[in-house]
Amino acid sequence: MHLLKVIARAAGTVAVLLSTTALVQAEDVSFLTHWAPETVAKLEAAAATYTASHPDTTITVRAVPFGDLLTTLRTSGGGAGGATIAGIYDAWLPDLAKDALVAPVPEAIAADIKSNWPAGIVGAASIDGTLYGIPNEIDVYALNYNKRLFEEAGIAAPPATWDEFLADAAKLTDASKGQQGFGMINSWAAGVLHPFSSLLVSNGGDLIVDGAPVLDSPAATETFALYEQLIKSGSSNPSMATADANTTGPFLDNFVSGKTGMIIMANWWESALKAGMGDAFADIATAPIPVGPSGDVPRSISYSWMTVVNAQASSEEQAAAWDFLAWLNGPESGPDGASAMADILMSMGILPSRTSDITAFADRLGSDAFLKGYTETLANAKPFPVVLGGQEFSEALQQQLEAIQFGQATAVDAQATAQADAKEILERNAK
Amino acid sequence: MQRSHQLSAAVMLAPATGLLATFIILPMLLTIWLSFHSWSSQTGFETAQFIGLQNFFDLASSSSVGRDFKTALGNTAFYTVLSVAIILPLSVGLGLLVHQTIAPGGVVLRTILFSTYMVPMIAVSLVFSKLYSPTEGPLNQMLGWIGVPPQTWLSAPQTALVSIVLLNVWQQVGYFTVLAVAGLTQIPQSLFDAAKVDGANALQRFTSITLPLLGNTLLFSAVIAVINAVQVFEPVALITQGGPVNATNVLTYHIRRVGIERAQGGLGSAMAVTLMLALIVAITALFALARARSPRSA
Repeated sequence: MHLLKVIARAAGTVAVLLSTTALVQAEDVSFLTHWAPETVAKLEAAAATYTASHPDTTITVRAVPFGDLLTTLRTSGGGAGGATIAGIYDAWLPDLAKDALVAPVPEAIAADIKSNWPAGIVGAASIDGTLYGIPNEIDVYALNYNKRLFEEAGIAAPPATWDEFLADAAKLTDASKGQQGFGMINSWAAGVLHPFSSLLVSNGGDLIVDGAPVLDSPAATETFALYEQLIKSGSSNPSMATADANTTGPFLDNFVSGKTGMIIMANWWESALKAGMGDAFADIATAPIPVGPSGDVPRSISYSWMTVVNAQASSEEQAAAWDFLAWLNGPESGPDGASAMADILMSMGILPSRTSDITAFADRLGSDAFLKGYTETLANAKPFPVVLGGQEFSEALQQQLEAIQFGQATAVDAQATAQADAKEILERNAK
Repeated sequence: MQRSHQLSAAVMLAPATGLLATFIILPMLLTIWLSFHSWSSQTGFETAQFIGLQNFFDLASSSSVGRDFKTALGNTAFYTVLSVAIILPLSVGLGLLVHQTIAPGGVVLRTILFSTYMVPMIAVSLVFSKLYSPTEGPLNQMLGWIGVPPQTWLSAPQTALVSIVLLNVWQQVGYFTVLAVAGLTQIPQSLFDAAKVDGANALQRFTSITLPLLGNTLLFSAVIAVINAVQVFEPVALITQGGPVNATNVLTYHIRRVGIERAQGGLGSAMAVTLMLALIVAITALFALARARSPRSA
């Protein structure tokens, strides 16, 4: 009889414990990003604010180098045990959506996004009309130049056309000082491709139109030739252009140390420049991409980043993740009507994309001379093509541009190979 | 009785063979099977579509897929041959220095040499990326002191892979020196004494006694060095990302790029199978070469 009582009590205790556990079961949400430690700290602080009012959710942040982000997402991030949330580059979305690694945005949040973000940004986060992520940052390219080196070379203003650009690059080059006029980038697909693409669109060209590559256009011919001319004239030194997995390396070091006169880079590297240059950052100015002979106005390519949710995560985990992301990107989470996400992005010099965030940071965006050069470019920016096989397309074109940089291919041969490769890659991936 | 013995042997061997089958043989067979399929590595195996030898034809083609693969295969072969060609003679030379008793300091030298092997490759890679910096790196600064112009190291396709080989040699040579020392200690001193009595000089003693009797050690070292070299990954992933112009794109890194980043699992498996076959051929050739040079086969 006593034994029965003991068993009954134990069973009762277990039942109570189990029911209590079920009631307070926490959702573990993990966030995969490529941000630097100081930015991760800001994200963790925002997450702590959220979890203070949502004690049933725990949020952990995991950071990997940019070069490992897609691989991490592919190997572990997309599985049931992988990260719940990941920050991704829009060019990766078609392939990730095709493999069902990312979950569609819930209807209510999608409606909010469609009414609070510009249509072009929403489009870059959508596949066939289905929205897959909450857009956060937008990046455009501009010409960054060193005012001190310009003064020393007797150049009064940044180049507005390619002719001026070539002339200035030559004036800024001084091999005896290890100084190059224009800095290219290699060993990093986006670092190679985006500056080239920005010059291409500023010359009236495109990479891809209606899913087919147009690298054989006259505008592209001129852009390939521009690269060849910069190399042949010695105005750009490819051995000063290497990038590493963290998107830093000699190309950044050379600009920071005043050995590169001009470079085409995105707004997000403002924080890297400030960290590397200190007071000398005041020497850096921004100008629109020089216009080519076939172009009309200065243009840049643009691309966006978004946060997506793992489609393999449990429905409860997905719900918790979307709720956190809606808060993080909403107007109540940050200062003065801005979102906490925009606050984090602005700390890195990255442009937020939510309309209310741009309004909230209007004064700062207007007064920051470096960022102003980028915001002025936004209106004429062309989105970088988002297609299936985009990464493979980028890497194939990267090889041809690097071959020009190192004199392994002429501009004509590189262009022909790039077009043929792109055609084969896009057709194969579209199947 | 014999049946009972066989059963107990099978039971005792089952855990080990089971683990081998599960973690080595099964994945190998799966990789071979996938190499004949078109398969996204992000989907289940049931989505794999049989395409025969198409993946292998693609690898041999002149498309970007084929060109990149052939470059990666060539880079891996170059890296392996150069690494082994530097590491083995260097390890024997350093082994002789450590093993000799004429001058003191052999143990200290051995400790210093082996310590490089204990440093994780990730740390070695990060340090070397700074040492190799073309404009601000210490190596170019030191070369400048003796009037040598700055070298491009990792920043140019002509020198990038060789620079990665040097990094590998620096990290691995200590381990192979220890192997060489172990081989040297197995050679009886009486042989050297007898040779001395017969009037053999140091070079003759080295070529006629030391090298032949180090044969097995060198064969083992060569096999391990080849396998290690073929598996090079960290310095490429961390420092060069396969660039510039694919100059450091080795097969392990390329397989990761194709099979994981691009999710082309079938194509990545075909590359892995080709790498495995190349490795088998290389190791078999090494053993055949060693057998041909063995005194017993003469």
